[in-house]
Amino acid sequence: MKTNINKYVAGALCAAMLAGCPAVTANAEGVEYRNVTDMLHAVMDSDRTIYTKMIVKRLVAEKKLIKATENYEDDGSAPLPAQMFRLGAEAVADRTDLFEYSLQSLWPINKPNAKNQTELEKIGLQYVADNIGENFYGEEEIDGTEYFTAVYADIAVAKVCADCHNAHKDSPRTDFKLGDVMGGVVIRIPLD
Amino acid sequence: MSFLKKTWVLWTVWGLGSLLAGGALAGILFVGGPRSMMLIGETTSAHKQFELACESCHTTGIVENLTKSPKKLQKAMTKACLTCHKDEKKVSNDSHPTKKFRGAKGAKLRAALNAQQCGTCHMEHTPEITRANAVTLPRDLCSACHQEIGEERATHKGLGFETCASSGCHNFHDNTALYESLLVKNSGGDWLKASPVHAHIAHGRAVPLLFASLSDQDPIKALEDFVADLPESSKEQGAIDKLAKLVDEDKILKAGDAIAPAAYVTADAVGKWSSSAHALNGVNCGACHAPDVAQSTDLSELEQNWIEEPGLTVCADCHREQAKTFTYGKHGMSLHPKISKPRKPPTDNPLLAAVFLFEDQPVPPFKVGDSYLAPKMHKEAHGRELGSCGTCHKPHDVDLKDAAVESCVGCHDDTHTRNYFKSPHYEAWQAELAGNAEPGSGVTCADCHMPKIEGRGGDVFTTHNQNAYFRPNEKMIRPVCMSCHSLDFSIDALADPNLVENNFNGRPAVHIESIDWALSRER
Repeated sequence: MKTNINKYVAGALCAAMLAGCPAVTANAEGVEYRNVTDMLHAVMDSDRTIYTKMIVKRLVAEKKLIKATENYEDDGSAPLPAQMFRLGAEAVADRTDLFEYSLQSLWPINKPNAKNQTELEKIGLQYVADNIGENFYGEEEIDGTEYFTAVYADIAVAKVCADCHNAHKDSPRTDFKLGDVMGGVVIRIPLD
Repeated sequence: MSFLKKTWVLWTVWGLGSLLAGGALAGILFVGGPRSMMLIGETTSAHKQFELACESCHTTGIVENLTKSPKKLQKAMTKACLTCHKDEKKVSNDSHPTKKFRGAKGAKLRAALNAQQCGTCHMEHTPEITRANAVTLPRDLCSACHQEIGEERATHKGLGFETCASSGCHNFHDNTALYESLLVKNSGGDWLKASPVHAHIAHGRAVPLLFASLSDQDPIKALEDFVADLPESSKEQGAIDKLAKLVDEDKILKAGDAIAPAAYVTADAVGKWSSSAHALNGVNCGACHAPDVAQSTDLSELEQNWIEEPGLTVCADCHREQAKTFTYGKHGMSLHPKISKPRKPPTDNPLLAAVFLFEDQPVPPFKVGDSYLAPKMHKEAHGRELGSCGTCHKPHDVDLKDAAVESCVGCHDDTHTRNYFKSPHYEAWQAELAGNAEPGSGVTCADCHMPKIEGRGGDVFTTHNQNAYFRPNEKMIRPVCMSCHSLDFSIDALADPNLVENNFNGRPAVHIESIDWALSRER
C-alpha cells in the first residue's frame, strides 16, 4: 500500500520529537504507512529503552538513588517505564489525532486492558510474540473509522522489567526473563 | 354562510393568538425576559443559583443547535461543565479520565459507557432520576466495564455492582484516599493520633497568639520577641519569615496610622483593624474601601471613592485563591466569571422594538431561602444574600473563629450542625479557645468543610469551595481526617451515615473491609 501521507510523516515526527515541526517533505510517491509506523516506533522504542536503562535500571535498581513506583505522584518517585510510555502517548493524543499508540500485552497487569483489545490487536500481539524480530501490520475498522495498525514487540530490555512484572500481585504471568517479549507497542493511523 | 364567517373569525383569532404566543416565547428565548417558564425540569443542587442564565451551560446558539451533530453538541456541553469543574477533576486525580475513553483504544470502553461526556452520567434537569452526587445512571453503572471483577478478585466474589460506589470502597472519579497501595501503606495505627493537630490549621491559629503579644507597649519589640521565641521548625515556615521581614522593614501599621475620612474612623473599626492581619501587612483603609485611590492620603479624594462594603473583587486583589475557590462553591457560585450575564438588548435591528417587552433584568442575588436546602436553614437567615465575603467574615477582626463556626451556624440548622455542639470536635475547639490545648487541635466547621490546602505553588490557603472536599465524603479523608485519625477509622466513620448525622459523637457502627482486603492480597 502506497499513498501520499506527507501530513502523517510531518505530524508523526512533530509529535515524536516534541520540538516544533521541521519542514519535512516526503518523496513524490509518498511514504508507505508501515514506514511511517516503523519510524514512529524507532523513536518510541529508543526513548523507552533509554528511560528503562538510564533511569530505572541505573538510578533505581543499581544506584538506589531514587524510586520508581506505580503511585509516583503520591510517593514523590519516578513513573514506571510503562507509565512513562503511557504519559507520552496521552500527551501526543492531546496534540494530534493523526495517529495514536499504546502499550498492550497478552498478559496485562491491568486485566481490563486485555478486554478492550481488538481482534487484530490480539492477533498482532500473538504474532510478534511467536515470531521474534518481526513486526505485524494490518487494517481494521473501529467505531466507523478505518485504521492502519502496526504491532511491534515490546521486549524486556533490562532485568528489572521482568522482575517487576513477575513480582506484581496482579501479573497473570510470572516467568518473564531478560529478552522475553512481554507485550507490544500498537500504533494506529486513521485511513480516512 | 354565517357558519363559515364564524369559522373564519375563529381561525383568524387562533392564528393571531398563536403568532403572538410564539413571538412572545421566541422573544423571551432569544432577546430577553424571564425564562423560568423555559426550565424543562429542576436543576441539580447549586446549579439552581444560575439556572436562568441558560447560556452558562448551553453555549451553542440556535444555528449550531440545528446544524451540529448531537456528538458535537454534547462535546460543547462537556466543555461548559469543565469551565467550573476542571480544577476539581485535576485534584481528584480522576480514575476515569476522558483520555482513557478516546480514540481507537477507547472505542470499546466508549461503547460501554461514554465517560468522555459529563452528560452520560450527569443528566441535568432530570430530578426524578438524579441520585447523590448528581448521578443519573443506575447504581450498578460499574457493571458496564467491570463484569469480571468477581472472578478476578476473590474478595469481590458475589458483590452487587450497586455496592461499588455506595459502600465507602470506590468512587468513579476521586479515589485519592481509597486506592489499594495507599490502603496498605496506611493500614493500622491508633484511631486517634497521639497529638491530633492539623499542621496547616495550627499555623493559622497561632496568629491570634501573635496579636496578643502586639498589645504590648512596644508592639514591634513584642513581635520581634515573638518570632525569636518560636521554635526553629516554625521559623522555617514562610508566613513567619514574612512576619520577620515586615518587622525588619517597619511596615506594620498601628492605630494612629489609619488613613480614612473622619466619619469612618471609629474606635471600633480602627481598634479591630490595628490588630488585624491587614494592619500587620501594611494594608491601610483605602486599599479596601477606596481601591482606585488606595495610595492617596487626601481625605476628600478617599471620601469620593469610598466603598462602604467592599465586595469580592476588592478582596480578590490579595486573597486570590480564596476568592477563586469561593466562586466555585455554593456560597459564591453566582459570582463565577463564566456565569452568563443578562443578555445585552439589541440596539440597531428590527428586534429593537422587543427591547421594551423583553429586556433582561439582572438575576437578583441568590438568597439562603432560595436554596433547595432552605428547610435545613434558620428561617431568619432565609433573606440573607450569598456571594459576599462579608456575609461570613468580619473584615476588621483579626480572629477567624467567627467565620469558622458562628457564621456557619448562623444559617445552617440541620441535625449534623446542631449535633456539632455536643461533639468531641466541638469540645476540642472549646479547649483550644480556652488555651488548654495547642493551636490546630480544635475542630471547627471550616476545618472540615473548607480545609486549608496546599495550592499548586506550594502556598497554603483556605479553600472556599465548600464542595471540593464534601461529596463524595471520602474526598475529606486525606486533607482533613487523616491529620488526626487513622485511615481505617476515617473510612469507617464517613461510611456510617448515623455517625455523620450525629457529628461523630461516638465510634463507627460499620466496618469497611477495603483495607483488610487490600492486605489479604499482599504477597
